[in-house]
Amino acid sequence: MKTQSVLFITAIALLLAIPFLLSQGLVDAAIQMLIAALFASAYNLLCGQAGMLSFGHAAYFGMGAFATVHAMNALDGTGLLPTPFMPLAGAVGGLLFGIVAGYFSTKRSGTYFAMITLAIAELVHALAPQLKDMFGGESGISAMRMPAWGFTFGSTNEVYYLTLVWVLLSIALLFLFTRTPLGRLTLGLRENAHRLRFLGYNTHRLSIMVFAISAMFSGIAGGLQVVSNEAANYVLFDAHLSAAVVLNTYIGGVGSFLGPVLGASVMTFFGYAVSDLTQSWLLYQGTLFVLVMMFMPTGLAGIIASLGGLHKRFGVASLAPLVVLSVISALLLSAGGTFVIEMLQRMLSQNYQSLASLQTATRWPDILLFGQSWPPASISTWLVPISLLAVGAVMGYLAKQWVQILIQREALKSESNQSEKEVVE
Amino acid sequence: MSESILSLRGLRKSFGDIEIIRGVDFELLDHERHAIIGPNGAGKSTLFHLISGSLTPTSGEIILDQQQIGGWEPEKINHLGLSRSFQITNIFPKLTTFENVRLAVMRSHGLQYAFWKFIERDVRVREETERLLEMVRLESRSSTLAGEMSYSEQRSLEIAMTLASDPKVILLDEPMAGMSHDETDYTASLIRDVTQGRALMIVEHDMDVVFSLSDRISVLVYGEIIATGTPEEIRNNAKVKEAYLGEEATA
Repeated sequence: MKTQSVLFITAIALLLAIPFLLSQGLVDAAIQMLIAALFASAYNLLCGQAGMLSFGHAAYFGMGAFATVHAMNALDGTGLLPTPFMPLAGAVGGLLFGIVAGYFSTKRSGTYFAMITLAIAELVHALAPQLKDMFGGESGISAMRMPAWGFTFGSTNEVYYLTLVWVLLSIALLFLFTRTPLGRLTLGLRENAHRLRFLGYNTHRLSIMVFAISAMFSGIAGGLQVVSNEAANYVLFDAHLSAAVVLNTYIGGVGSFLGPVLGASVMTFFGYAVSDLTQSWLLYQGTLFVLVMMFMPTGLAGIIASLGGLHKRFGVASLAPLVVLSVISALLLSAGGTFVIEMLQRMLSQNYQSLASLQTATRWPDILLFGQSWPPASISTWLVPISLLAVGAVMGYLAKQWVQILIQREALKSESNQSEKEVVE
Repeated sequence: MSESILSLRGLRKSFGDIEIIRGVDFELLDHERHAIIGPNGAGKSTLFHLISGSLTPTSGEIILDQQQIGGWEPEKINHLGLSRSFQITNIFPKLTTFENVRLAVMRSHGLQYAFWKFIERDVRVREETERLLEMVRLESRSSTLAGEMSYSEQRSLEIAMTLASDPKVILLDEPMAGMSHDETDYTASLIRDVTQGRALMIVEHDMDVVFSLSDRISVLVYGEIIATGTPEEIRNNAKVKEAYLGEEATA
């Protein structure tokens, strides 16, 4: 409990200090991370806690965004609300659309529910560019942050703090929600909605409420996005955003409250850091998701939890080799994987293909990667990723063995303890 | 005897061409314990599904507390004071035992859509939950995940959840299935206690329990009630012996 509050206070202090520690570009990235974290948290209320897998959550994010952009432009640009309250318009937008969409989609469950949410999101995405007044057509709508309460909201740092306050407040509210009767019933909906009906609950109404609350917080995230970008475009409704929130939430771990926050922050940061370096970011994102689902379905939060469990059981000293082995293994495997993906991406690119067809002498010209040129036709080039992957796999295997050894050692110890006791008796 | 709280009149239910319930007339009196017995496939569970709102009757009437409830939603029937348990255990497996019972208790305290107060602060709900857990002897298991308990413990949990709404009419579908002898004895006396002043309709295969617990027994065979009476009358009824107990009526 004590370490938890220390961690919590440290995290808050770090978040507050970010504008002093990082460059403006990174503060911008931090704003995106915060927004993604809130969106994933709101999504997890529906997906992780209520067990309703929505494939169209971009719709509620987008509705929140457009509600906010209209609120900012209202009253001849002076704004409906002072700038710090603008995300409230997003909340209302998300909530209202969430009630309507939730009414229809929660009439069914499972796959049918997922299909309806997907259809609603696609419908909005297709309709938005046609409705020029509401969604600004293809070009979208822009707005201006107005000064309020002595702040100009002209600098990235002020926007960062505004976003931080809203995100922390929203995530805190989402957490407190889990402690309320409706929050407990949300878990009941996931576990056994059929039984709830025979306990006298109207499960359809409960589902609509949970759906609408999730949509409302998604709308706040959308509103924050608009306050930060000062613009909204129908691309906000794109299926890509719906997919990203699903992936982020699962990579972080649906089983825990903060897992999705972690997943969304990490993935958004990587997206920011890597998207300039590679053209295959989506491929990495997808690969990562598949690997997480296959090897650690409880997500990043699950790893942390199981590490904590092992730490309690075996202590730091016995755990250190495991952590070192796992980290090295992960680094080597990622390095090998990255090498292969980047090489193939360059080899399959159109530029390279036409270059290769022009140069008849050398069928495969060298490829520049990581500051060196690699001949794609030579075995030595491919030996690099192969050896990286092989050593990484061995390290991973050793890490696994180490856990086995620890478990055996523990069993032996408890056995000898028992025999000692018997001798004493 | 007092008047009936639940009446079935000419109740029928078919699935396609097959008629499972074939014209049942039945009265459950207020404050009576009434067992339904009959061979496998007689339609006992179907009858429960019809009364509790799982299924819609093909024809006939179900009258609970002077209201025709045939085809109503299960939650509306529950609001009239009818609560049921399930033959196949029907709980919230990944929630704790305490949470399972608390979800059942909350409804009767009017806490279904509340998101403006914390559930832990509600003393009445907590005390009622603890009382029910103690009653079914699960207080030591309150923080165990319900799905990880033994089968008979889950049956006890099911009973606690059924009783949580303080119902007027209780339907128990084989509550003792899978219980040991000792557990069955305890549960039988528990059911006797908690159904004081309520109406109970029970399906059970343990004949000792049925005959000692019930005020009246109805025998359901192939979707029809062939006899209703006190345990003594049923024991001596020739038709019942022939159809259900498999004895020759000529003896």
